[in-house]
Amino acid sequence: MHLPDGLVPLELALAGYAGSALLTGLALARIKRLPDPRGELPRAAMLTTVFFAASALSIPVPPTSVHLMLTGLMGVMLGWFAVPAILVGLFLQAVLFGHGGLTTLGLNGLILCLPALVGFAIWRGAGARWPDLAALIAGGGAVLLALAIFAGIVLLGMPAALDAGAERAALAVFLLAHLPLVLAEGVIVVVLLRVLRRIEPALVPHG
Amino acid sequence: MTRCSRLVAACVLAVLCAPHVALSHAALIEAETTQAIRLHAFYETGEPMAQAQVIIFAPDNPALVWGQGLTDLQGRFDFIPDAQMGRWSVQVRQAGHGAMAHVEMGTMDPVVITSAGGPQNWTQRAIMIALVAWGALGTALWAAGNRNRADASS
Repeated sequence: MHLPDGLVPLELALAGYAGSALLTGLALARIKRLPDPRGELPRAAMLTTVFFAASALSIPVPPTSVHLMLTGLMGVMLGWFAVPAILVGLFLQAVLFGHGGLTTLGLNGLILCLPALVGFAIWRGAGARWPDLAALIAGGGAVLLALAIFAGIVLLGMPAALDAGAERAALAVFLLAHLPLVLAEGVIVVVLLRVLRRIEPALVPHG
Repeated sequence: MTRCSRLVAACVLAVLCAPHVALSHAALIEAETTQAIRLHAFYETGEPMAQAQVIIFAPDNPALVWGQGLTDLQGRFDFIPDAQMGRWSVQVRQAGHGAMAHVEMGTMDPVVITSAGGPQNWTQRAIMIALVAWGALGTALWAAGNRNRADASS
């Protein structure tokens, strides 16, 4: 779910860059305030790779196929570090895999970083009390939010020449195909956090 | 045969022998060969972009839509550019996904410049993922090493 180059109006692409820059500035300011920002670097580096590699895997959901996003996982595991980690991962995906464009990097950053931060907020607010439920909602909810932002941007940037009805119908099919991913990513976060709690509780974020 | 009947026969022959023209109740069909461009749009998984919307921009005005249509079920789309030389741009899109291809029309055969894409085979992808993983592992070890040194010195 990456916006490619050439399909989005220039103004929207620039707005995406401005939004991502603001979000990155905010995230870096919050990271600076952490007691040990350097201590989070190894985890951020490794999860950037996981996020980058996940986009190479496509899961068949007839009649189409979907990619793992892992935005909720990034938010839960990295907190504010998720923003720079996702942006680096998106840049590598665009340059090396051709997933998403460079002109739309800002917009794609917003599509995935905002849900990651919402996932982080859900986990921080409810993770200690209801860990499984919080993980499920953070993982699945982040996918739902990413889908909503993606659809909003597509509808906002639709050129006048396009058959709006056909594009909306195609978008509806696309969104429906991603619904299983909502559950799958929620379950991935639940399972991963359960495993971490059992074998290495110190690695559980904010635990 | 009289002169008049020869003239009539000549006229009938001229009409019948006119090449590539079919006449019927004043409707005309002319056939000619021409050069068409066929594009094939598909997702990276190999699935065709069936029924995707196509928008074409001519070289003289890249901001104005020159033509549009839909791909077929195999993701194919044919169009016949007019005589304008230069770079034609064709955008294929569906549900916010898609790509732009460019067709260079010159004095030589048209050159189709396909949209930029990533590696298509899994070996290339695996190498790229391994390289990024190596970079991340290096970063992680470097950060962990720095932290250990800082802890030891304090």
